[in-house]
Amino acid sequence: MWKGFLMKHARCWLLAVVALWLLPQAAFAQPKKPAGGGKPPPTAPEPAPAGGDIEIDDPNVPAPEEPTEPAPAPSGETGDGGGGICEIDPTACPKQGDIKALSERSVKADVYAVQQIYALRRGRFEINPYWSQSLNDQFVSHPGPGLAVNYYLTNVLAVGVNGTYYQPFNSDADFNFENRRATRIAVPLTEYLGGYAVNFTYVPMYGKFAGFSQFIFHYDGYLVGGVGGLFTRPIPVIDPDNRKFDFEHRIAFNLGFGLRIFLNRWFAVTGEIRNYIYVEHLENTEVAATQAAAQNPNDPASPWIKEKPLTVNVQAQVGISVFLPFSWEYRLPK
Amino acid sequence: MKQACKLALAAAALATGVSAVPATASAQEIQITGPLAGAPAGRKLRLYREGRAELALGGGFTLLDEYKRTIFISGRLQYNVFDWLGIGVFGGFSPEALSLNTDLTDRIDSTPAPRNSRTAVNLPGTVGQPAFEQQTGKLGWMATPQVTFSPFRGKLALFQKLFVDTDLYLHGGVAFVGVKERGDCGAPGQTACTAAASFQQVDRVAVAPSFGLGLTLYPSNFVSINLEYRAFPFSWNRGGFDSRGAGPDASFPDNRIDSEDRTFKFNQMIFVAAGFHLPTSPKVSD
Repeated sequence: MWKGFLMKHARCWLLAVVALWLLPQAAFAQPKKPAGGGKPPPTAPEPAPAGGDIEIDDPNVPAPEEPTEPAPAPSGETGDGGGGICEIDPTACPKQGDIKALSERSVKADVYAVQQIYALRRGRFEINPYWSQSLNDQFVSHPGPGLAVNYYLTNVLAVGVNGTYYQPFNSDADFNFENRRATRIAVPLTEYLGGYAVNFTYVPMYGKFAGFSQFIFHYDGYLVGGVGGLFTRPIPVIDPDNRKFDFEHRIAFNLGFGLRIFLNRWFAVTGEIRNYIYVEHLENTEVAATQAAAQNPNDPASPWIKEKPLTVNVQAQVGISVFLPFSWEYRLPK
Repeated sequence: MKQACKLALAAAALATGVSAVPATASAQEIQITGPLAGAPAGRKLRLYREGRAELALGGGFTLLDEYKRTIFISGRLQYNVFDWLGIGVFGGFSPEALSLNTDLTDRIDSTPAPRNSRTAVNLPGTVGQPAFEQQTGKLGWMATPQVTFSPFRGKLALFQKLFVDTDLYLHGGVAFVGVKERGDCGAPGQTACTAAASFQQVDRVAVAPSFGLGLTLYPSNFVSINLEYRAFPFSWNRGGFDSRGAGPDASFPDNRIDSEDRTFKFNQMIFVAAGFHLPTSPKVSD
């Protein structure tokens, strides 16, 4: 009967055994406290990379070499009395006097103005969502979200594309209305649907900042330029009752520069100024007085579009960058 | 039997929970030993700011202007109490020659728009008498006591050849701005706003918050290059128009020019300068 019971519910018991077997066997990295209490023993010192920064998340920290023989303890000194390494091996026990002398010694290691590049870019993709805000149009602002994707052919050169969507965010300033009401003069306005571009990015400079003397973050500066298109149309303000415009494609060149601040080796915050240069089509500021004049192609008031000035739309783009793959291997050791 | 199965699973879960409780704290104190113990985060730092006075001279250029672009001949005098904190004053002035018309200002006089009873309060009856640019608001001078906070310092490599020490700073203070704008008119006892005399300008001082950030490059111990962004928002009447004062929310013209007609403007400026530091050599940290 007991055998039958076990056979019938073998699955349940099997499940329970598996659950118990999967219990986490927690491993604690902390050494046992010394019997006498007090501070935990100091960990064995690791040699700092020669002439370099200590990067906690550096995947390529070279394996520690054989520890150098510490200076023998002067007779009579007993360390900090905390036990641990000092009890196990008195010769390895750090001495305050020795540490001070060592920290003040002159190090003749090779020191470079800028160490190994923190985040290598070669062969990596950069995914860069951003928010764009127009900087030089006091009449209509053209904010909008965008996305850029770049592939780095070398560590300093990338090819990529970007696109921005403006349509629901175009904003006609109150100033336009007040100016029209006061002077009876209207400024031709335009709005954007979206834009795209194929770009080259060049990264000529990089560096690092120390914040509050407590942490270091790396950054680089880049130039970007390319060609693409913008879909724009006039906002009818001169003769809004009779004129209606559709979005049309304009070829747009772009040139800009940016700053990328790395929060880790694959994630960065970006800020960029980009000039989109294109030929804009503006609404005709004249209105035909009669229907006959409006239908006369030779009448200067007839066409809805008149001026086509070269326009520079300066956009500030703020976003984040994610680099893929997340990790890489340096070609040379640090 | 189902109950037995549930019981077994519950026992397994309980055992999991009990045994997963850490017997000792997992956090570990990081103890730096060896040659880096007790050493400062950076040694032999050149303290470009601490204990030094700085005079920066350059130009300020306003952004997103509607009727007038202003170029300030500007300067900043600052004493840095610490490497991360300085106090000083930013100032500048803009003579008439450096107050430039925007394209819109030129168009208002050159476009043959009707000047009639609807525009009479806002524009002279005859084009050019006086010219529209005479009534547009202008920024004449600026003085800003301020505090500068420099939390970030570092260096910049250009083409892997040129290395420049640099720092990033934030600044904040109170801006006193000399504004020229169209004088009050239209109220009882004042000139009618349609009269030619009413298009004269008067001076006043606007008080505004001032804040921004900047970057300083140190190509040498004595000279620095400075690029700074500054915002100093306040309300003023840039066009000299009667735009508010009557109707719902006072958002319609009332045939008067007064403080009601001042509209908010997020004034912005870029300042580019060369800085000179005294003493000429910076201190070096331990």
